[in-house]
Amino acid sequence: MVRLTPESLDKISKEPCDKPANWIKVGMSSCGIAAGADEVFNFLSEEVKKRNLNVEVKKCGCQGNCYAEPLVEVSIEGLPSVTYGRVNRDIANKIIEKHVIGKMLVNDCIYNTVD
Amino acid sequence: MYEKTILIKDTDTKREDLTRQAYTQILDFLRHNDQHSRIQVVRVADIGLYDKGLVIKILPEQITYANVKEDDLKRIADAISFNKGRVEDLVYKPKSKQERLVLKNCGRIDPESIDDYIACGGYLGLKQAIELKEDKVIEEIKTSGIRGRGGAGYPTWMKWNFAREVASDQKFVICNADEGDPGAYMDRSILEGDPHAVLEGLIIAAFAVGASKGYFYVRAEYPLAVERINKAIKQAYDCGLLGQNILGSSFGLDLEIRLGAGAFVCGEETALISSIEGKRGTPHPRPPYPSVKGLWGKPTVINNVETLANIPQILLKGGAWFAKIGTATSKGTKVFAVTGKVKNSGLVEIAMGATLREIVMDICGGTLTGKPIKAVQTGGPSGGVIPEHLLDTPVDYENLQKLGSIMGSGGMIVMDDDDCMVDIPKFYLGFCVEESCGKCSPCRIGGFQMLGYLKKITEGAGNINDIAQLKRISYAMQKASLCGLGQTASNPVLSTLKYFEKEYIEHIENKHCPAGKCSHLVTYSVIEEKCKRCGLCFTNCPVSAITGDKEKGYSVIQEKCIKCGKCFEVCKFRAINKK
Repeated sequence: MVRLTPESLDKISKEPCDKPANWIKVGMSSCGIAAGADEVFNFLSEEVKKRNLNVEVKKCGCQGNCYAEPLVEVSIEGLPSVTYGRVNRDIANKIIEKHVIGKMLVNDCIYNTVD
Repeated sequence: MYEKTILIKDTDTKREDLTRQAYTQILDFLRHNDQHSRIQVVRVADIGLYDKGLVIKILPEQITYANVKEDDLKRIADAISFNKGRVEDLVYKPKSKQERLVLKNCGRIDPESIDDYIACGGYLGLKQAIELKEDKVIEEIKTSGIRGRGGAGYPTWMKWNFAREVASDQKFVICNADEGDPGAYMDRSILEGDPHAVLEGLIIAAFAVGASKGYFYVRAEYPLAVERINKAIKQAYDCGLLGQNILGSSFGLDLEIRLGAGAFVCGEETALISSIEGKRGTPHPRPPYPSVKGLWGKPTVINNVETLANIPQILLKGGAWFAKIGTATSKGTKVFAVTGKVKNSGLVEIAMGATLREIVMDICGGTLTGKPIKAVQTGGPSGGVIPEHLLDTPVDYENLQKLGSIMGSGGMIVMDDDDCMVDIPKFYLGFCVEESCGKCSPCRIGGFQMLGYLKKITEGAGNINDIAQLKRISYAMQKASLCGLGQTASNPVLSTLKYFEKEYIEHIENKHCPAGKCSHLVTYSVIEEKCKRCGLCFTNCPVSAITGDKEKGYSVIQEKCIKCGKCFEVCKFRAINKK
């Protein structure tokens, strides 16, 4: 890795974030893993690969809503980004089929907070 | 493709769930307006509000309507169909809002990637610190007014300043991640979700005091946190953020991880230092404070995980910005781990000065069972119990202390009517007795004696003089113990005696536990009128303390009963009386 200098840090922070538009984040802290986030993460990664979807599956830390783990945040172009809670294989499958492919939010699984 | 989204959820738990009904009604209105292909309606499992009736949220505008009645649905549907703006009288304006400073990256970035952290403005605080020079950094921390988040709330800048002013060939910085309070886990979540923020805070602290060596003291029970800090340290070395000539300056720092072996007392700073030195983890008298004479006799700054996670942003946005958040004496936000009998357990980060009721009721949705809250315990084994009628107190260091509790590391345990206020302090005291290092006698003997009295009371052998004796020992422990563990171990007892003395007296005089928790004071019996003679209690009793048969009915032999409560649990007709 390249050694950082004050200038390079400045440059990175000013660069526009060219993040991919489509991503799925799985909360993978102790609380998430204890609730089964590992399985969900593996399942989502495999499905995305198998179906050749243009979606990046990422790990992230705990959002704080530990009661609803495993939490999966999904952002797909054209849809609001939402967080699904208590996700298992079934719901993960619905997320892939309905949300990612069908471009429709999945009923009864969203855990959204008022911000 | 949908342009707009309507999220819908009925949050009233007292009546039948109307979510589906409202969902179809709204869909019908949208179809009628011929808008159903432009607007999607989604039922959600949790909308972030509780007991606010039917709640509807419109995305992407982020409008929230609460307490929506059936007649209002058409107005809302029409407003969104014909872009008529908001239905003002139904808009919900939240009183209390979470404010995320420490947790801002948790759940957003990949904790194992330094690139993610840098892309979110990471390490700019360190850059700023190096540009400001040491004195200005401490000045900035002083302006911010941040106080230690580990429990005692000592001003962070003072610790740093003491260590800076002492002349020494070697100084140390330590991150205290030995989180041991039962029910508290915010440090773990921060380390697992955003380890680089803590690392950056620690590097800034080292720069400000002139330390060249630092330690992460993490408890071994957090393997994932340890793994992620290890990765973060390695990445920081690779990027030149650790080692020599950090960011092109003459400042250098080496970091190492030390694992705690599971002793609660090692969260106390002098015991932690002994543990790092390879000695037995026991506290030492202060002064000299570690800032002057700490690790291997050298000036040492020890800060908690959450304190350090705040530092990068204070430097980046300025101390004055931080000082605007919070109350007069307690600045910034605090992360609380809310657990116990609460609907939504988890982490809550809120500006200091929010009330306990806002945290427990509005954000965490009240109790799990729907029963009223009896008390909230804050600060773990060193804290106290705050009764329901004082829940409107704004949370800050001073207020909690006045109530006989402490902020502590931020654990918050919610209790309802089923929790016995003699049993709770017994649990915490038992924890402290087990974790006492045994070095000083007030803690070693006092704690043991107090636990004996509490056991006596919960077993129905208490004497009214025991209360006075409990108070006497408590004061002695507070005055004479060597470290924080002993000085605060009696807080749970004193605070429950202050607010729930009646419950103690009830245990002693009437040999009765109002919560039905103390098994020695509970008797089980069969209510004949309700008994359907199914025999479930008979077959489930582990000690054959229930006699009878399907014809004659059943009864409990009190002499044999071990009060396990199994019969009470299995009875489907509520025919077992628990008294």
